Amino acid sequence: MRRLFSNMPLAFISLTFPATAIAESNVVSFVSCPIYRDADAGKKSGCWLTDNPGTAQRYDVSKATSKPDWNYGVLVEGKVSDEQDNACGGVVLAPVSVSILQEKPCTRFMLPAEGYPGRPFVLPETNTVPLSVERVPPEPPFSDRTFSILFNFNDDFVTYQHGDYYVDQTIQWIRGTNPAEIIITGYADLTEHAISDYPIVEDADMAQKRAEKIAFTLKRLGVSDDLMTVQWESETDEAPDQEGADGLPIASRRRVDIEIIQSGD
Amino acid sequence: MVLMRLFGLSVFVSLAVVTAVVFVSAKADDSEVETQLDERWWSPGDGRVFPEILDYSNASGQLRIQLTGGEIDTNGHPFFEPYGPAGRACITCHQPSDAMSLSTETIQSRWEATNGQDPLFAAVDGSDCPILPQDDPKSHRLLLERGLFRIERPWPPKPFLDFPERAPDFKIEVVNDPNGCNSGPEFGPDAGKISVYRRPRPAANMKYLLAVGFEYDPKQGLGLPRDPETNVLLSGNLLADGRASTLKDQMNDAAHSHLEFETDFWSDAEAQIEDFLLRVYAAQQVDAVGGSLDDLDAGGGPDLLATSEAGQLGSIGRAVWSEFEAWETMTEAEKTAIGPEATAWRESVARGARIFRDRTFLISDSAGINSPIGFGNPVRNGCAFCHNMRQMGNDVAPGQVDLGTTVLPFADPAPELPLFRITCLDEPHPHYGREFFTQDPGFALSTGKCADVGKITLQSMRGLSARAPFFSNGSSETLQEVVEFYDRRYNIGYSEQEKTDLINLMSAL
Repeated sequence: MRRLFSNMPLAFISLTFPATAIAESNVVSFVSCPIYRDADAGKKSGCWLTDNPGTAQRYDVSKATSKPDWNYGVLVEGKVSDEQDNACGGVVLAPVSVSILQEKPCTRFMLPAEGYPGRPFVLPETNTVPLSVERVPPEPPFSDRTFSILFNFNDDFVTYQHGDYYVDQTIQWIRGTNPAEIIITGYADLTEHAISDYPIVEDADMAQKRAEKIAFTLKRLGVSDDLMTVQWESETDEAPDQEGADGLPIASRRRVDIEIIQSGD
Repeated sequence: MVLMRLFGLSVFVSLAVVTAVVFVSAKADDSEVETQLDERWWSPGDGRVFPEILDYSNASGQLRIQLTGGEIDTNGHPFFEPYGPAGRACITCHQPSDAMSLSTETIQSRWEATNGQDPLFAAVDGSDCPILPQDDPKSHRLLLERGLFRIERPWPPKPFLDFPERAPDFKIEVVNDPNGCNSGPEFGPDAGKISVYRRPRPAANMKYLLAVGFEYDPKQGLGLPRDPETNVLLSGNLLADGRASTLKDQMNDAAHSHLEFETDFWSDAEAQIEDFLLRVYAAQQVDAVGGSLDDLDAGGGPDLLATSEAGQLGSIGRAVWSEFEAWETMTEAEKTAIGPEATAWRESVARGARIFRDRTFLISDSAGINSPIGFGNPVRNGCAFCHNMRQMGNDVAPGQVDLGTTVLPFADPAPELPLFRITCLDEPHPHYGREFFTQDPGFALSTGKCADVGKITLQSMRGLSARAPFFSNGSSETLQEVVEFYDRRYNIGYSEQEKTDLINLMSAL
């Protein structure tokens, strides 16, 4: 396994961001404390609400892959959904990314249902299938392909039923295509954004941690060290259209790209 | 038997609630060939034949041990022979009558029968600390009262699995050392040794504990590790702190720590022990009130365990504890045949299974659930959220979860146990902050990670009626106390009927 580091700036980098809540098209970003509404619609059904301090608008972020912790602030990045069901008592964001800010303590607060029904849990499409399910290998011819694994803010944890799904997609492709080379590139968002007057910038070593975490997992899944080149960048770009990024531009800056190169024979 | 907590008097009082009767069937299908033995206790090297079926009475009814593939002559078998210097064997702490674990009732009975001279009470781990006077029952208080053996872990932890070697990200200090095994020149973090006290896990139903359902560990956000020798995926569900990942690792860990071997088991012995462990199943078979647990198409008892596929997630296909679904729809004729008391008990068990699966509550501040997976803190779910493997109730994923059984403020006060101050050196613990206290750091003693302090691997839920007390630190003497712990830990608000139903369910497993 080779390890490389680059500090070359990438093309299409946006280095400046407004000092308040970001609204690009219908994308909303802010930092706030979460509120849990105990609308009991069954297992994993609770509502997560949070108020944008810049607008006093209450948002429903329950559809986030990673849910909040009521003891800590959250960085919210999401799109106002076209489907507003008012199940929880806030403007629904979907897709939405929620990152826990452990350095920002919050007073835990739980609202009763107050007539809001909540939503029954629905197994996400990005659910990893069990080993007992037979997998269909990819059909040749095989081309080069890049998979992306997205991360929460300042975190190298591969999220359940999202990040692990894309890792699984990656390993199925690798196993099915027997590639010549795999280039794993870690990115972190080292540009400071002032979101809701809160400084948002990732740790300098986060890109490396993410790249090495993915390489470690791929090795456990059977990928040879000899096939992998692991590298990380000092700067990042936006890749909102990459599968798994859900069209969220800033969240897409926190990722690992896995480039799978076929031999060309 | 109950050891009165008046050690100066060394008084034992027999409650005589369990008859010491063993029924041995020579063949699984020949229930009439039974031989009554006068001895429940299997001493190392006593040379018995381990039959296909062993039935033992207990306070709830009758436990069955089922051995697949035919009986075993235990003569010369390394699970049963006292090869170590202390005269112990694996069977010492994994008794068939106790679902291949060891109850305090059996431990106390053994002390009484041998005046504390049984190898079970060896100084190395059968006493609170080897430096204590070994003839005094007070020196064995944790084993006699709570069923706890001393587990000595290296500090700092040795490299874990295939992770790169790194220093622990937390500091550990001893603030209470009631037994002397966490301080002084020989013991404690400064001496490179940390003593914690834990219950022996059942050496049965192992195919379930080795099974994996997915290739990923959602609690660590990583692919599952593999056995470097066999390339088999590792379940992470064998020991409380995950320090051994294969049966071979586990038996050799036990050989060194409990049997006082200076080397590993020899390869033939490893194969023999593994063969035995993969063939032995334990479950309650008969309830004293409800009768046979596989009656009327119910699925209690070990036979179904032996013949079923392991590692199935209860939320896919047949649900956890659906073995007792048939008792939800008993006909009037069936109810009449078994009588009102048995009918009520069976209906209670069936309700208990539903409550176990479907009664939701808010789970909060539990690492391995509320962090870092992304379920949220809190998250609404039920018992089967974690106890999700069909027929066994352990976790299909590696089951390292912090329920708070060993960490303040959730743990019950236990001045007889050590207490450690944990200081996270990097990130604070997601639920306890920078500094907190624990009686047993659990999984963190393997990983060296502050976020793992207090995580204890879920274990199987079979044979519970035969192996009190419960939880890794023996903090619940009864199944009632288990339910009460969860009820106050998560503010569930179970009704008395719900508690009874859950207790009846667990007693039937």
